[in-house]
Amino acid sequence: MRPFFAKYRAKAGWFLLICLTGYAVLNLLWQSVRLYPGLPEKDPVTLHEERIRQLESLLPASGEVGYATTVENDKIFAAEKAFQNVEYLAQYVLTQYTLAPVIVRNSPEFPLVVGNFLDGPPPPGFLEKNGLAPLRDFGDGLILYRRDQQK
Amino acid sequence: MTFSFSASLLTSLIIGCLLSFIFIPHLKNGAAGLAFRLFAGGGLGIGVTSCVYFICLLAGLTRYVPAIDLVICLVLGLLCFVLSRRGLRKEPLQLSEIGTFSGFRVLLTVIFSIELIASLLSFAIAFLKEPHGKWDAWLIWNMHARFLFRSGEEWRSVFTGGLDWSHWDYPFLLPLSIVRSWNYMGGESRNVPALMGLLFTCLILGLLLCSLSLLRSRAQGYLAPMILMGTPFFIALGASQFADIPFAFFILATLVMLFFQRRSPGNHAGPLILAGIAAGLCAWTKNEGLLFVPIVTVSLAGTAAYTGGWRQSFKRTGWFLTGALPVLLIVLYFKTWLSPANDLVAGFSLAAASAKLLDLGRYVEIARAFFITGISFTQGLIDVRVGMHLNPGAVNILLLVVYLLLTGIKIDEKDRVCLFQTAAVLLLMLAGYFFVYVMTPLDLNYHLMTSLNRLFLQLWPSAVFLFFMAAGLPEPASLAGGLPETASLQPQKGPGKGKKHRETKEMK
Repeated sequence: MRPFFAKYRAKAGWFLLICLTGYAVLNLLWQSVRLYPGLPEKDPVTLHEERIRQLESLLPASGEVGYATTVENDKIFAAEKAFQNVEYLAQYVLTQYTLAPVIVRNSPEFPLVVGNFLDGPPPPGFLEKNGLAPLRDFGDGLILYRRDQQK
Repeated sequence: MTFSFSASLLTSLIIGCLLSFIFIPHLKNGAAGLAFRLFAGGGLGIGVTSCVYFICLLAGLTRYVPAIDLVICLVLGLLCFVLSRRGLRKEPLQLSEIGTFSGFRVLLTVIFSIELIASLLSFAIAFLKEPHGKWDAWLIWNMHARFLFRSGEEWRSVFTGGLDWSHWDYPFLLPLSIVRSWNYMGGESRNVPALMGLLFTCLILGLLLCSLSLLRSRAQGYLAPMILMGTPFFIALGASQFADIPFAFFILATLVMLFFQRRSPGNHAGPLILAGIAAGLCAWTKNEGLLFVPIVTVSLAGTAAYTGGWRQSFKRTGWFLTGALPVLLIVLYFKTWLSPANDLVAGFSLAAASAKLLDLGRYVEIARAFFITGISFTQGLIDVRVGMHLNPGAVNILLLVVYLLLTGIKIDEKDRVCLFQTAAVLLLMLAGYFFVYVMTPLDLNYHLMTSLNRLFLQLWPSAVFLFFMAAGLPEPASLAGGLPETASLQPQKGPGKGKKHRETKEMK
């Protein structure tokens, strides 16, 4: 029996490896192919980029701008760390990704502030508290603000 | 645009290949040897040219980068020519015989090709779904590339821009490789980061195939990349445009070069220098490389001292560090003069560190995560809403263990030290990662869930390489009705080459 097993066990090893890797590769391909017809024409990052890129003509070529969104700025990172909401952080990061090399600070305390309200308006009183006056509304929740320097 | 992009890759490839010709002049074995140079040299070339680009960035010479690359190509080409004229290519490496095609090998080649095409299709669909890559790609790597390219002369300002969340302490190999291609092209292209991901994914597969074909047998060479192609996370991470795949390439390249050094006649130092360059490029790719370099150095010094005494150890370690040093100096400059403090190190205090070190609960939580992820990481990113759970899939570490049990272990005497060394490096890397988690200032569960599977995948190609270096050699001739192919020979000459029935020869 021992030589019999010795003879065939190596072949069993290759057979097992070829079958399982083949299954895994084809399974991944099948899942990908099933996904393909449902893919949107444009991916979310490209869509967000096109939306944010409208700001470029009104912003300086370099320097810093502020940022405001649906929640207070300190909650953007906290919500992601707590696995509660990654959308606010994703929207902020993609705003920076699009506008680079202009630095988008996670704070409303800058002369120019990008308002990104894709998920709803800012908290009540937030704009007044920070002295933010709309400079231009691009629609779809994108507003560029000018900050009252006295605030 | 396509021509310019190809030119940027071609100069990297030529520089890498010339380096391999200079440092491994005695590698022959026809097509497999040449393919090895292309795959190993391709990756090393990309790494080296990103270092050159960084120096040009510091010197304000980025507009001359194509010309500088060309000069480097010419200098290396000339050096290569001079070395070949001086006849430094006498003794070949002691490699396995490539031999002719048997029925088994043809079948294996067909299956490999099908799997490769299927994997490339999966990669392409993943790219179409997320052409900008996944989260870390646009939060870190591609973001850095954009800043460096768009900022022009003002690129240093980003380090003081308060964008710590984008991890500006992460090294620049990948971003600068992208920027370098954009520089050649004269503008940005969304496809370049994805092509870099594809390139490094293919380079790992190719390096694994060629190195195992040369060091063991072509059958082993085909089987090992099939394990990687059957790892959904490997393909997904390549398409995600993260730096983990380039990092995995440089780890693999380092360890492969150490094996080549053992096979080289008279312990030629060339492969050790290339191993050093690859290790240095690990540190230039990801911060984990700063752990990898000392671990490889110590294990190399330790094994060399054990087998050949301290004199031998100093010599071998010296050659290795000679290769690593130029890249490490660049990393040192980057870390000391440019980058902000790492988020894991910032705010470090002895009191907090000792409290964490003495917290047994942390060890248990990390050990549990290591066990679950160790078996499941091949299947992809963790869904944070579900949490960690066992998901072994079809291909995982257990498959390799079962394969090893079935084929048995057959270790060449000359590879024994390198196998021990490679296993030690991989285990020490895991131990290092373990203690990074013990000490992490981040929430432990958050840190484990968002990074551990990627850390395992970084080591996965090298672990697969290690398993196949130890596995019993396939005996295709027994399937085809001939003699087993187990010979490890110098490249054969004369009429014996290509015979179906070959003598099984012992290594010198």
